[in-house]
Amino acid sequence: MPTILHSGSAGTIFGFVALACYAFSAGFYIAFLKKPRPLFGWLATGLAATGALLNLESLYARSVALKSVPYRDIVGSLALLGFFLAVLNILLELRHRDRSLGPFLMPVVFVLLLVALELPMAKTAPAPELRGPVFALHVTLNMLGYAAFAVACALSALYLMVGRSLKRKKGLTLDGPFSRFPSLSYLERANRTSLGVGVVASTAAFCLGAFWATRVWRADHPNWVLDPKIVTVLLILVFYWVVLVRAHRGAAPVTTARLSVAGFLLVLVSYTAINLLFSKLHVFT
Amino acid sequence: MNGELLYIGWNHRVATLDLREKLAYSPDEAREALEGLFRAHILTEGCIVSTCNRSELYGLTEREDGIPEIADFLSRFHGIERDVLLGAATSARGDESVRHLFRVASGLDSLVLGEAQILGQIREALRRAVEHGTARSITNRLFQAAVECGKRVRTETSLGTRPASVPGIALSLTGRLFDTLSGRRVLLIGAGETVELTARLLIDDGVTDIVFCNRTQEKAEALASSFSGRTIPWDQRTAAFADVDVVLSATGAQEPIVEAASLKKVLSKRRRGPLLVLDLAVPRDIEPAVDDIADVYRYDLDTLSELVKKNTLERQAEVPRASAIVEESVDKFMDWVSTLSQLDVLKALRAKLEDTRQKELQRYGPKLARLGDDERELVNRLTESLVAKILHEPTIGLKTGGVAERLERAHVIKTLFRLEEDSH
Repeated sequence: MPTILHSGSAGTIFGFVALACYAFSAGFYIAFLKKPRPLFGWLATGLAATGALLNLESLYARSVALKSVPYRDIVGSLALLGFFLAVLNILLELRHRDRSLGPFLMPVVFVLLLVALELPMAKTAPAPELRGPVFALHVTLNMLGYAAFAVACALSALYLMVGRSLKRKKGLTLDGPFSRFPSLSYLERANRTSLGVGVVASTAAFCLGAFWATRVWRADHPNWVLDPKIVTVLLILVFYWVVLVRAHRGAAPVTTARLSVAGFLLVLVSYTAINLLFSKLHVFT
Repeated sequence: MNGELLYIGWNHRVATLDLREKLAYSPDEAREALEGLFRAHILTEGCIVSTCNRSELYGLTEREDGIPEIADFLSRFHGIERDVLLGAATSARGDESVRHLFRVASGLDSLVLGEAQILGQIREALRRAVEHGTARSITNRLFQAAVECGKRVRTETSLGTRPASVPGIALSLTGRLFDTLSGRRVLLIGAGETVELTARLLIDDGVTDIVFCNRTQEKAEALASSFSGRTIPWDQRTAAFADVDVVLSATGAQEPIVEAASLKKVLSKRRRGPLLVLDLAVPRDIEPAVDDIADVYRYDLDTLSELVKKNTLERQAEVPRASAIVEESVDKFMDWVSTLSQLDVLKALRAKLEDTRQKELQRYGPKLARLGDDERELVNRLTESLVAKILHEPTIGLKTGGVAERLERAHVIKTLFRLEEDSH
């Protein structure tokens, strides 16, 4: 009989404060894009960093309450994805001294955490096979991969928007929010880097998952490889490898950008619909 | 302050380029001209601003006929007829000359409204004039105030933030595609003035890899040797698009020299990221259908001129705010000038009254000699007190009210008490 666990109220409180930080951070990022006042910028970054720390604290508190990695259920996995996105946003900002991704990423981070906090949390202790470093690393790397693909998607969307505004002859303007976006060459480079991080993390996660599955599922589910989730992830991984190799070989940046956006849409489908509706084995507990 | 500020100048609004070229000063010529004006007792101090768009002389004169005298002197100095000079000159005295310099420093009088270069040129003119000893207390302060005013206009308004020239706009566009131009490869097609100017700007921006291409190969080679670039034959111009980041074309060809269809083929093998194509030729050198090729961003003079026009309009919207800053700065400077004038007038008035008091005491000396020491001391104090009482109201009057009012009062006092005559 599964053990009933406490809901992890400490984690929830930290989660709600993190949510507030993310909301204000997103607001200040958008305000900064419209009017680049230094105060708005500092507040946006500072609140994003505070939100990320509290998000991590929330995950830790939940981990203690669940006696497992905190992201074996969808609540935890969404919260972790939000955390990675916030961290990647801050890292890119510090690396390139550019706040143009924040207005796009932080609202997503906010929504992810909001959904995570709204959904019911796992109340049972994890099965023994869901404990241990292989499973934990598999999920963590997967989330890192998803976050990197999300960043690549945001960078690509920016590339397409900036490119479109530059292609337009009528009403072309050199000021306003568009002028504060990074150059096309930066967006292209950063997109390649994000794709690289995402592909490497996801491939490692897939390998670890396969290793874990051969040990845990082999007996009861010999055909685990044919699970819709596994098949979808493998196809997405192949897709991203092709995009990455093409990009490094000098494919037209606009094509890479379009493929990055399309790839992330596939990721979202895999993460939500496939997980929740089609997969028999790969379900959140 | 002895004397009045004035300026006389020749700028792009009135004087032809030919005349402006003749009136341009090297730093040594500027010093020579000013020293000549000092020797002729026309100016007591001064500074010359000489740029491609203006040659203006600012100074302090004690003469009513200062401006025509300067024109006479400069006519001899440059070997240009006096009437020609005066016919194309602009000039002003007093606060008008201050206002003019402040407007110049703010970019309000520039050919490209709000351009920033002029501020550096004024700063440089002042530095040289101070070094040569021609800018003394008043002109030094005047030019420093002008630089301060120009800086305020630039920081408090967006007059100079948007480029308003074709090369400026073209360079802004490269910033939207590339983080930096340094390390980028640029193809320049043509061999005219535009190409030469662009090559110079590119080198200033850190570009080291410039490829020149021209129908006449010798001309391309001459440019390449001037700018440490290299050349490609004319028939390889389209193929070269595959290996560069920026293309600027400005030839005199009557038909497009790059066709979209052949360019599309060439670019299918391109492995360099986005390509910026600047077509500055009339008629166009590059077919507009190039716009349909992915990652190619083409701009022609129509688009760039539209941006220039738009930015100029936006700059013009900032003119009232900039003018208000100029007026504030003029008032502040004239306030300082009036303080100097008031001090001079008060000093002269006090000296005159003291002189009168002493003369009267002397005149009544024999009669006062009959008095005892205490009575004589009393008379002395009485006259001193009278002078102080008489000075009280003018002193207050010279220190209160607006700048113009105070200067007017100072002038009235000087005239009524004949202070100028006494000082000579």
